[in-house]
Amino acid sequence: MIFRRILGFIPLIFGITFISFMIMHAAPGDPTMMFVDPSVQIQDMAQVKANLGLDKPVLVQYFFWLKEIGKGNLGFSYVSGQPVLDLLWERLPATLLLSVSSLILILCFTFPLGLLSGYKKDSFFDRAVTFLSFLGMSLPTFWLGLMLLLLFSLRWSLFPTFGFIDPFLEDASLWARAVSVLHHMFLPLLTILIGGLAGLIRFNRFSIIEILSQDYIQAGRARGLSERRLLFKHAFKNAALPIVTILGAGLSGLIGGSFVIEYIFSWPGMGQLGVSAVFARDYPVLMGSILFSSILIMLGNFLADLSYSKIDPRVRIR
Amino acid sequence: MRVSQDMEACFLCYIYIMFQKILFLTLLSSCGLFLTACTSEPQPQQTDTLRLLLSANPSILNPILSTDSASSSVEGLIFNGLLRVNEDMQLVPDLAKSYTISPDNKTYTFHLRDDVLWHDGHRFDANDVKFTLETLLDPKTNTVRRSNYVINGKPVKVEVLDDFTLQFILPEVYSPFLIRSSLSILPEHLLAGQDINTATFNMAPIGTGPYRFKEWKAGQHVRLEKNESYYAGVPKTDHIYMPIISDPNTALVALEKQEIDRSSLPVKEVPRFIDHAFINRFHYYDLMYTYLGFNLDKAVFKDRRVRAAIAHAINKPALVQAVLKGYGKPADVPSSPLLWSYPDNDDLGFPFDLDKSRTLLKEAGYQLKDNYLEKDGTRLGFTLITNKGNREREKTAQIIQRTLKLIGMDVEIQVMEWSSFIKVVNSPDTPKAFDAVVLGWSLSMEPDAYSIWHSSQYPKGFNFVGYKNERVDALLDAGRLETEQGKRKTIYAQMYKAIVTDIPYVFLYYPESNVGIQKTVNGLTKPGPAGLMTRIENVYLQP
Repeated sequence: MIFRRILGFIPLIFGITFISFMIMHAAPGDPTMMFVDPSVQIQDMAQVKANLGLDKPVLVQYFFWLKEIGKGNLGFSYVSGQPVLDLLWERLPATLLLSVSSLILILCFTFPLGLLSGYKKDSFFDRAVTFLSFLGMSLPTFWLGLMLLLLFSLRWSLFPTFGFIDPFLEDASLWARAVSVLHHMFLPLLTILIGGLAGLIRFNRFSIIEILSQDYIQAGRARGLSERRLLFKHAFKNAALPIVTILGAGLSGLIGGSFVIEYIFSWPGMGQLGVSAVFARDYPVLMGSILFSSILIMLGNFLADLSYSKIDPRVRIR
Repeated sequence: MRVSQDMEACFLCYIYIMFQKILFLTLLSSCGLFLTACTSEPQPQQTDTLRLLLSANPSILNPILSTDSASSSVEGLIFNGLLRVNEDMQLVPDLAKSYTISPDNKTYTFHLRDDVLWHDGHRFDANDVKFTLETLLDPKTNTVRRSNYVINGKPVKVEVLDDFTLQFILPEVYSPFLIRSSLSILPEHLLAGQDINTATFNMAPIGTGPYRFKEWKAGQHVRLEKNESYYAGVPKTDHIYMPIISDPNTALVALEKQEIDRSSLPVKEVPRFIDHAFINRFHYYDLMYTYLGFNLDKAVFKDRRVRAAIAHAINKPALVQAVLKGYGKPADVPSSPLLWSYPDNDDLGFPFDLDKSRTLLKEAGYQLKDNYLEKDGTRLGFTLITNKGNREREKTAQIIQRTLKLIGMDVEIQVMEWSSFIKVVNSPDTPKAFDAVVLGWSLSMEPDAYSIWHSSQYPKGFNFVGYKNERVDALLDAGRLETEQGKRKTIYAQMYKAIVTDIPYVFLYYPESNVGIQKTVNGLTKPGPAGLMTRIENVYLQP
């Protein structure tokens, strides 16, 4: 059954990549259009385009791309000439580190806070959490990041301004390097947390409120179950279900990285790679990252469904 | 039941209060931490590493393939050309000791240095130059610089006379060729027989320059170390660390924190860096000009009086003040005050004079009706396009819109994403789908602006306004045939005068760059568009 679903991914991938390829080529511009400089001649651009195979019909280009994918070759970047797989691969560690740790921290904070604030609906605590989470949601990331930089880095000199690791630590122990990475990671992580916490807390709170108003909770209460048991054993699991769906859909975000965060803090992640590829019309790199993230979205949904069936016995995968 | 619930609530309340207290204490203690951090002195700076920021991840470290500024700023430290541009914007010998030009102006003979080694110890010779030129001319190479070495469809030939003497033989006289010999030279022994577009060399280049490549971490940094056998002397600073910081705000914070040694300064931040405790501010003209270009194929701009009216309506000094905060100069010709080709007489401009504009428009047959000018029932107006992401151009367009409204013109602004913009401007159709454009051209030391002004460069080419003047065409051709600088200057002065009189563009301003450099950095050359580190081997750090 699981196998059948995985098999279903294949036509989906074809569809996604085909549509993205077409949209990409429909957008104005091509990789050579970026060199607008009076010293560059039109015939040079045409020659480069021909070398890259961009003078062929889009459909033909798509089939060339597919054929190479079939051979396990994601192609070469138009801009740097490097294999796309290498480009994606070298960006992965920094992206994963930031996204996975922010996800874990977000989960650690949102569940208790959402639970408590939903349970104590309309209390002072709930109002405070609600206020803070709206604040967190409405602060634009680029502004927040810069403010944190100004405060923590420039004013107080607590954290470094940019980068991933202190470059002069290459011979240092693993421990020293890990500390350096954590030190560099603090500000980007904090920026992500402030924005990321807010939404999920709201979501969690809402689902707790909804569950607590259901008949079976009332019945449990009537039977004299303790509030703690009711909350943690009976309500929590059900309230977690929608969160699992959200997390499943968010799996691709783990790989995609956040351009704004990476841009502000010079974090060497996927976001910057993707955005610069869009501006340079570096089609192979773009297709590579689209392929990557579409596989992850499917995988994420699939994992969400799987865990659904683990949490909720009513759900069965067919 | 209610009681138990209330008790539970009380319990939670208690936890909450405790939580608050803990939070407060944490905040308090972290404040203490901040305070101590605040008083701590910045760490002593290393004197063996110069930290030069890169504003983006370099794309490819091969000087004949790369087109981005991040790549070329790394390449500039690793590679040399036969000639180089010095701080006075003159071509001076680099890998070549000297050169001679034959009497028929078609053969350039270069005598190369015999004491230059590649970073791997191999000796540099004339075959490397030949290899570089031939690679560039190979159609399979994905370069946009090929046409620089093709003259009227015929490529430049290179002949190696001996190991350290070679000749470039041009198919016909072409004076802009000399600047092309500042091309960076690639090592033949490492690249021969490889696919230049995908070679691993492009990620770990080997050159002849003052610094050798050490490491490139994508999205993080590039590191270089000094070339002990550099022909012009061992560089004074051991290492160069080039962190990649894309956000200009972050770069500024890093400069102020003394984490990097140099950063460009946005105009609105400049006042903070004048008389700064540990940062010197430098400023110089960029090699570029910003202009308002008219689509001469559009009916409204066919009448020179309309173009002249617009030129007289734009207050350039005010524009420089508003857009560049005074860091720039009103422009009058398509050149730069920094270049030898800049004409001596500077009375070419159109002085700001709204009355004159109004008179010109009246002469052209426009009548004022409901605050807008009209002729034969159509309102005088046009759409002004510019590219997104350049605040200066957007602001310029807005100011032009406002001033032209004063004389009764209805201007609409359209800000376009770069590729859509290029698509409109570069489309092969006539007339092109735009009325007027605010854009800038960067300049090189070579004044030959054939692709911008020659009538053959329309509709395909950068003469997208459709400018056509036989005299200008002839002067452009003459400028290519004349090799003596003084005579060329006269030719181009005539050409600029003709262009300014025809008003295909209104030349707006020459912007200035502001750069902040730590005071610890010494051995700088004088400020100029080539930067302050044109002799990087002399740069050293002294705390």
